[in-house]
Amino acid sequence: MLKEAAKNSVTYAEHVYDDYFGEGRVHRALYTDAEIFKHEMLRLFGSTWIYVAHESEIPDAGDFVTRRMGLRSVIVTRDLDGDLHVLFNRCSHRGATLCREESGNAKVFTCPYHAWSFGHDGGCRGRPLPKGFGASTDDFPYDLSKADHVESYRGFIFAAIDTKLSLKEHLGGAAEKLDEWLDRNPGSDLVVQNGSMPFEMRTNWKCVYDNAADGYHVPFSHESLLRMLSARYGNVDIAYYEGDFDALPLLVKDLGNGHTMLDQRPLMHADSAWERQHVLPGRESIWSKLNEDLGEEEALKLLNGSTGSGMNLNIFPNLMIIGNQIQVLEPVSVNETIVRWYSTSLTNVPPEINAVRMRMQEDFPSFGEVDDTANFEACQIGLEEIPEAEWVHIGRHMDSRLGETDTDGFWKEPVSTDLHARAYWQAWRTIMESNEGGKA
Amino acid sequence: MEITGAQPGYFDLEYYRRIQRIVGSWMELDEISSDDQPPAEVAEECRALLLHEARLIDRHQLDDWLDLFTDDAAYWLPADASQLDPASTVSWEFNDRRRMEERVERILTGKAYSQIPPTRTTHCYTNIELLAVSENEVHALCNFILNTHRPKGGRLLSGWNGFILRCEEGRWLIELKRVNLLDADAPQGNLSFFL
Repeated sequence: MLKEAAKNSVTYAEHVYDDYFGEGRVHRALYTDAEIFKHEMLRLFGSTWIYVAHESEIPDAGDFVTRRMGLRSVIVTRDLDGDLHVLFNRCSHRGATLCREESGNAKVFTCPYHAWSFGHDGGCRGRPLPKGFGASTDDFPYDLSKADHVESYRGFIFAAIDTKLSLKEHLGGAAEKLDEWLDRNPGSDLVVQNGSMPFEMRTNWKCVYDNAADGYHVPFSHESLLRMLSARYGNVDIAYYEGDFDALPLLVKDLGNGHTMLDQRPLMHADSAWERQHVLPGRESIWSKLNEDLGEEEALKLLNGSTGSGMNLNIFPNLMIIGNQIQVLEPVSVNETIVRWYSTSLTNVPPEINAVRMRMQEDFPSFGEVDDTANFEACQIGLEEIPEAEWVHIGRHMDSRLGETDTDGFWKEPVSTDLHARAYWQAWRTIMESNEGGKA
Repeated sequence: MEITGAQPGYFDLEYYRRIQRIVGSWMELDEISSDDQPPAEVAEECRALLLHEARLIDRHQLDDWLDLFTDDAAYWLPADASQLDPASTVSWEFNDRRRMEERVERILTGKAYSQIPPTRTTHCYTNIELLAVSENEVHALCNFILNTHRPKGGRLLSGWNGFILRCEEGRWLIELKRVNLLDADAPQGNLSFFL
């Protein structure tokens, strides 16, 4: 009886969100209602694939990192056979946070409270004073609860608590774009062990996600950056964002299942992305050293491969790839979000290349993300303070007939479109309104 | 626009190694004997330079603030609390002189929305310790309490700073300002001003 009742308490409530959506618009409550946020953390982050970590962060047997799936603290582990597990970071005994470190290597995870210990797969390995445990609690769930589905795609580890899709099915078109992002440097592997920048902002996580393939805001939100660059250096970097920038060969694509991409490669990588790019600390010294060591052609090839990718690839709901960085969304509450920018490096390149990558990865966060954050926070204030103004506009290019199927088979629209928002909200509804599954 | 006196080429691997050695020496510092301290007159100038630097930020006199730095200066705000190697670790900011000037110019466009209005700051530098390295080089360590205000609330930041100070033609200037936030590795709010 008790067991059934406990099970029912975590069954997802049936929700229908019809009233919150209209043609080219979504309702403010989706960003401000704490009950909807609770449902998202339970349902959305509990029943689709969530990015948790990169394999290079836990390369050896016994390695672990602690991460989040929505609000759930999880331990991402690699066991002695090399298999990956995503364990709920909650002692099966009284509920205490089991692992209190961000990363490390462990033989077992031992709870500091009563020293119950658990293996890399979450199996309960030890409980002190075993004579005290008897038949009455033989059926107690002594092992750690965990995400039943854990898969990795080319080093990117995702976990799902409850899904019918394989990771490959979930990624769909995003997988081949991730390939393109990863395959820029043949012979080198991506490493995610170079620190991160966790930005804390007072806004709903979707105010951030709305922006992930928003080509419309660039010349306006980032006017200070563009003005400073053009005053100093002329036509460099993203200076092409001016006038009717929808006429440029920049585009946004719908990759299916809420995944999208903003593609600037046709302009950013038209010639040498490195030469076009905004100067960075060490540009001249490191470029000339590489020219000396490798010759100009090889040096430029490596530098181009480590210059911003020109792709914003967004894998719904919490992974955003921008430049050379991996951005992960960590919702904290209905109006608090952490956006963590993981820095990346490459194997098999001269150390100068990775040094350049570090300084480059400080570039946009310093000059751009800060102003984006100011606007995300301003959106949250407006949405919270004025209940009479109900709607948020996501209707750009719905009627302009400028969209078409691209040669790769994906639907594309001009860069200022809201295609990204429309695509992810559709995926959001599919997951949030589904009655399938339903057990955490 | 001319790059004012800046030497754009100095952030190379040798530079990172040198700066890392210096930061490492600060971490291992024990008692500073009287022999290691600069002469009273130099000490006074160096202390005055630190307080001047803090005041100019608090008054938003950023052009004047830049004038306190050498042409090969750096402003460094790590995103870790373990003195990791900047050649393989991302920082919140690791600006050379040119990047410092770019950031000041960006703020002064009046379109830098993260700084509209500008973050108000009060810098308190305490526990100042000076270490004479040579006749023309002094290292300065201090703790800081940095109160900040923005319209939707402020934050109280703290930590310690490490400065490399250098005497050029009789004038003491800052070659490096390294800001070690107590919670450098924790989520941070708006850091788009100079700490």
